[in-house]
Amino acid sequence: MLASLTVREFRNLAALDLEVEAAGLAIVGDNGHGKTNLLEAIAYLRLLRSWRGARDVDVVRFGAAGFHVRATLHPPARAHSAAIGFERASRRKRALLDGVEQPRLSDALGALPSVCFSPADVALVADGPGERRRFLDVALALTSPSYLQALQTYRAALSRRNATLREVQRAGRAGADAAARVAVWEPALAEHGATIVGARRDWVAAHAEPFATLCAAIGESAPVSMRYVGPAEDSDASALADALRAQLEAQRAQELRRGITLVGPHRDDLQLLLGGRELRTFGSAGQQRSAAIALRMRESATVREQLGAAPLLLLDDPFAELDVRRAQAILDLLAAEGVGQVMLAVPRAEDIPPAFTRLSRRTMREGRLS
Amino acid sequence: MSAIDDLTTELARLPGIGRKTAQRLTYHLLKQPADQSRRLAQALVTLVDTVRTCTRCFNLTEAPLCSICSDGRRDGTLVCVVEDAADIAAIERAGEFRGRYHVLGGRLSPLDGVGPDDLTIGALLARIPEDEVTEVILATNPSLEGEATALYIQRQLAPLGVRVTRIARGLPVGGDLEYADGVTIAQALQARRDM
Repeated sequence: MLASLTVREFRNLAALDLEVEAAGLAIVGDNGHGKTNLLEAIAYLRLLRSWRGARDVDVVRFGAAGFHVRATLHPPARAHSAAIGFERASRRKRALLDGVEQPRLSDALGALPSVCFSPADVALVADGPGERRRFLDVALALTSPSYLQALQTYRAALSRRNATLREVQRAGRAGADAAARVAVWEPALAEHGATIVGARRDWVAAHAEPFATLCAAIGESAPVSMRYVGPAEDSDASALADALRAQLEAQRAQELRRGITLVGPHRDDLQLLLGGRELRTFGSAGQQRSAAIALRMRESATVREQLGAAPLLLLDDPFAELDVRRAQAILDLLAAEGVGQVMLAVPRAEDIPPAFTRLSRRTMREGRLS
Repeated sequence: MSAIDDLTTELARLPGIGRKTAQRLTYHLLKQPADQSRRLAQALVTLVDTVRTCTRCFNLTEAPLCSICSDGRRDGTLVCVVEDAADIAAIERAGEFRGRYHVLGGRLSPLDGVGPDDLTIGALLARIPEDEVTEVILATNPSLEGEATALYIQRQLAPLGVRVTRIARGLPVGGDLEYADGVTIAQALQARRDM
């Protein structure tokens, strides 16, 4: 839970200091004045990077040397304070927990557990598989250290195998020599890839039904479902590793031609279906937004399960573009789950839903709160 | 003054030494008796002129063959493969190993452009029949790149019919279980044995 926040030189927020009550805060202000930037700064204390996918350098306020975000926290956060800073010149990012710099940045991941709902979430459903893989990776890496470890090692092995594929191509190597150079990275890919795919499959198995129920409750009449599309159907770790190993071997000749690794969890998809057809291509804008919100609610449930308490909800004008009936249904679902602390950002005071009118209000204007 | 700048720049290239430390070292060298600084310079020149790699195992040596390769009491049929010469010193400190070594000169590191041809793998393969080697112990680091290097060498050695072993991974002796990281504990559990 967030108790107070200090933001320096972060996008258009030059200097912002804020106390936050246990219930949370509603921030009212016109678009373009910094509401989303404030929520993004708070989310940095969870992901240690921009949830909007921006590079750290682009988050630094124009002309500033770097940015700094610091917060004092209450349980269920695991530290009393967390801070993240980035220096433009050295491109160095540091994270501190309780005032102590963390030797590895990833040690500070999830310092302030939060889940963000934003209109941009529609990309989760409407865009390519990469968005949904990132969604799964964030939900799982931040709640399971073994997943994070597997993901980091998998990515390291993948970049080395791809570099080897390119080198082999450039040097014009072929046959057994080329295959031997590439193959040495495959045991690590298979072992850690199996951990990743297994955890993702388990997540989908546990969340598919609640996800479908949520979509129906939000007001989708056609049945919405999710399924994991990957190389192997197994979810047993050693069977998965064997399957991945066999596929890497089978694809190697083609990969040697293309210079890139073509199978593995970095190519899988979390498919979302509407009555059996892909929601991504066949869903209406409203249906896609409902499904995106349902996904975020399952992310929130995943964090809650691990934390034993509700995460901080960052609601960035979440009901824009939704009809009144759907918006009300979502509010009812959130209330039924039990809402913890909320940071709500809306353009006008009239946009604050009745459930959140009890929140204290501040106004955001040109990067300043009043 | 360029002499000062030159030395500072050279010192700052060394691992673990930044610009400020380099400057402090430079001024220190100027302040101390000139003889002492000359001895340091001479030691550096002697180092680069006389130290080379062993023609057999690529360990560091001042003679054509290193002290281990020229020691007749060492078992030449047992070869321990390490990434760097510094690893030999670590294994020698244990005093357990009575075979000989082979220094790869690094590990497979495609992101740094280091491939099998940049390591001394070809020389290792040639040593197997030449020295009648019966066992090769792969003692590369238990890292992603060290494991890949070991695997590559194992596959190259397979046709030669020599026994290939890999050093075990597990908990450090005298260590505390509660301070070990999860991956190490998981591997120690996998490699558990009956007693």
